[in-house]
Amino acid sequence: MSTDQQDDQGDEDTLVNVADGVDHQVAMVMDLNKCIGCQTCTIACKNLWTEDGGSEYMYWNNVETKPGEGYPRGWEDSGGGWESEEHSDRSPGEIPDEEDYGRAWEFNHEEIMYEGSDEPLRPRDGAEWGPNWDEDQGAGEYPNSYYFYLPRICNHCTHPSCVEACPRSALYKRQEDGIVLVDQDRCRGYRYCVEGCPYKKVYYNTVSKKSEKCIFCYPRIEGEGPDGETFAPACAEECPPQLRLVGFLDDEEGPIHKLVNEYEVALPLHPEFRTQPNVYYIPPFAPGQHTEDGETVDIDRIPRQYLRNLFGDGVDEALDTIDAHRQRVRQGGESELMELLQDKNPAKQYRLEVFDDE
Amino acid sequence: MPASGPSWPPRSVLGGWSTMADHRRTIALTTVLAALVLVSTVAAPMASARPAHEIPVRDVSDANLAEPTADGWEEVPASDVPLSSAPSSVPNADDTTVETVDVQAVRTDQRLYVRLEWQDATRDMNANSTREFADAVAVQFPANTSSRPPIAMGGPDNRVNVWYWSGATGTQELLAGGAGSTTPFQNPAVEANATHQGTGGNATWTVVYSRSLEAPSENRTDLRTDGDLDVSFAVWNGSNGERSGQKAVSEWHYYPFGGGPEGPPYETLLWTVAGIAIVAVIGVTSFGIYRTRGAE
Ligand code: SF4
Ligand code: SF4
Repeated sequence: MSTDQQDDQGDEDTLVNVADGVDHQVAMVMDLNKCIGCQTCTIACKNLWTEDGGSEYMYWNNVETKPGEGYPRGWEDSGGGWESEEHSDRSPGEIPDEEDYGRAWEFNHEEIMYEGSDEPLRPRDGAEWGPNWDEDQGAGEYPNSYYFYLPRICNHCTHPSCVEACPRSALYKRQEDGIVLVDQDRCRGYRYCVEGCPYKKVYYNTVSKKSEKCIFCYPRIEGEGPDGETFAPACAEECPPQLRLVGFLDDEEGPIHKLVNEYEVALPLHPEFRTQPNVYYIPPFAPGQHTEDGETVDIDRIPRQYLRNLFGDGVDEALDTIDAHRQRVRQGGESELMELLQDKNPAKQYRLEVFDDE
Repeated sequence: MPASGPSWPPRSVLGGWSTMADHRRTIALTTVLAALVLVSTVAAPMASARPAHEIPVRDVSDANLAEPTADGWEEVPASDVPLSSAPSSVPNADDTTVETVDVQAVRTDQRLYVRLEWQDATRDMNANSTREFADAVAVQFPANTSSRPPIAMGGPDNRVNVWYWSGATGTQELLAGGAGSTTPFQNPAVEANATHQGTGGNATWTVVYSRSLEAPSENRTDLRTDGDLDVSFAVWNGSNGERSGQKAVSEWHYYPFGGGPEGPPYETLLWTVAGIAIVAVIGVTSFGIYRTRGAE
C-alpha cells in the first residue's frame, strides 16, 4: 500500500489529509482532563475482544499513568515508526517480552476460599510488574507532585508502520474508513507488526500464533449489533465521563474536525513517530504549583516540556487557546470550543453515519 | 662437446629430413597424448563424483526411512549444501546462523525421502510467548517441473511447492508465487519427522520429509519426473529471531532423476565417447605404425 500521500488530498471536497486509497478516516478525540482512570474502557474492550486463550495479556485499550512506564513497560522507547516524513524507511523496533506486558498472576483464592487460610488475598509469586504497576505514582515532589491518565488504543494511523512492516501484507488499512486490521488468514505470526508499531498496539496471540489488534469495534460502527443499530466503539460508549468523541476526521461538520483542524487543540500522541495517528488528545491542565504555605503560584505543575515530549510542540498553542476560550466564557462570553469540549449530546459526540449514503 | 654442429634444436624440429627413430617417437608421443586426453575426460567426472549443484539420489525399490534415525540412512550419500542469508527486506535479514545443511535423498518406487541435518545448539520448539520463535526448515521445489522458478519463493507465473516443518507448527505444505505470497495447503501431503540430538555446539536437528512420487493434487510437484528436479533448502534458527525472510538459504540444486539405478545418462554417454575414443586411438596408432613400417 502506498502511504506517501501528503499534500495531494484523497477526497476532492475536503482539505483533510486522509491516507491514499482511503475514502474516509475514522478518528477519536479523548479529553484527558476528564479521565478518572477507572479502566471501564479497558474492561469493556477486554470483555468484548480479548477474553480467549492466548490474549489474556492483551489490552487493546489500556489506561496508563503518566509520567510512568506505561503498557507495555517502556513502550515509548521500544522503536518502530518512520525515519522521516517521506515514509520510506522504517525505524527498527523491538518486540516487548512477557514481563514488559505483565503476565496474568495467580492468586491464592483457593487457599482463602476453600482451605481456611487467613493470609491476605495476594498474587502467589512472581508479581513484580504488571499493567498499571506504577499507577498514580506520577512524578514531582509534595506538594507539587502530578500525574494524569492516558487512555490508549491503536491510532489507526494515516501512515501505519505496522502495515508496512508486514512482509505478507497481512495488515491493511481498509478503504471505507481507514481502520487498520490484521487479516487472520494471511498472518503467519512473524510479529514484524508488533515491533514495527511505535505505540506497541499490535499483540501476538500466543495460542493462535497470529497477531491481533484494536479493530475500532468495526462490527459496532457497521451496525452489526442485535438491532442493527450503529454504536461507537465500546471503550467510548462505556466511559462514565464520556470523554471520547468518535467520528470521521474528514467530516468537516463534526466536532473532531473542529477540535483537530480548526482550533488545533486536539493533538496526536508522539507525532515524532511520524505514523500520523488518528486518535487525538486534549492535553491535560493541572492547577499551578503550590508553595510550602499552600499558596498557588503561576508555575506549571505538569512541566510543559513533558507535555511537549508527549504531544509535540503544538501543545503550547493548544493550551493557550483553551485557556483563552475559558477566560472568555468566564467573563460571560461565548465559545464554540468550550461547548464542543462540554457537549453531552450523543448525536454530536458520536457521528458515525454521516457518510452512510455514499 | 663435439664441434660438428649445433646439437640443439633437434634437426627433426628444424625440418628437412627425418629418421625411422623420429617416426617411432612421434607415434609414441601421439599415443601418450591420446591416452592422457582419454584419462582426463573419463576420470575427471569420476573423481569429483558429480557437478557442484547435483544432490545424489539413491534409488531403491522399497525402504523404511521415514525416521531420521532409521538404519538405512547410513548407506545414503550426503551432500553438504552451503547456506547463506536470503536477500530480504525484513529487518536483520543478514543475521542468520546456520551455514550448511547435510542433504540425503532416497527414491523408492512410491516415495521420495529427503533427510536434512544441520547444527543448532538450541531446540526451539515453541512460539508460545511474545519473543519466542521456533526452529524451522524447508525444501522448495518448482510446482511445475518444466522450468526453474525464481529462487526467492518463486514467481507469480512460476510457483513453488514448499515442504515446511517448524517446531511450533509441525508440518505444513505451502504454495508460493513470490515473496509474501506463501499460502498453506489445507492438508499437507508431505510427512515430516524431526529429532534434535546432542548438546552444545555439536547438537543437530535432523528432519526427514517424505511424499508420494505422484502429485496428490494440482500445484504440487510431480516427483515422477525423468529429468533433473530442481530443489533448494532453507533453515531458520528460532532462538536468533529468524523467521520469514530472515533465513539461511541455498541456491537451486537438483536431484538427477534422469537415470535409473545405474546412474544418470550423461555418465553412460561419457563412457561411450571414451570407448569410441580408445578404439579410434588404437586404430589410428596401429595404422600409423603399420604404414611407417610398410614405407621402410
Ligand atoms: S497505532 Fe500502531 S498498530 Fe495502530 S495503526 Fe498505528 S502503527 Fe499500526
Ligand atoms: S472509561 Fe473513560 S474515564 Fe474510565 S479510564 Fe477509560 S477513558 Fe478514562
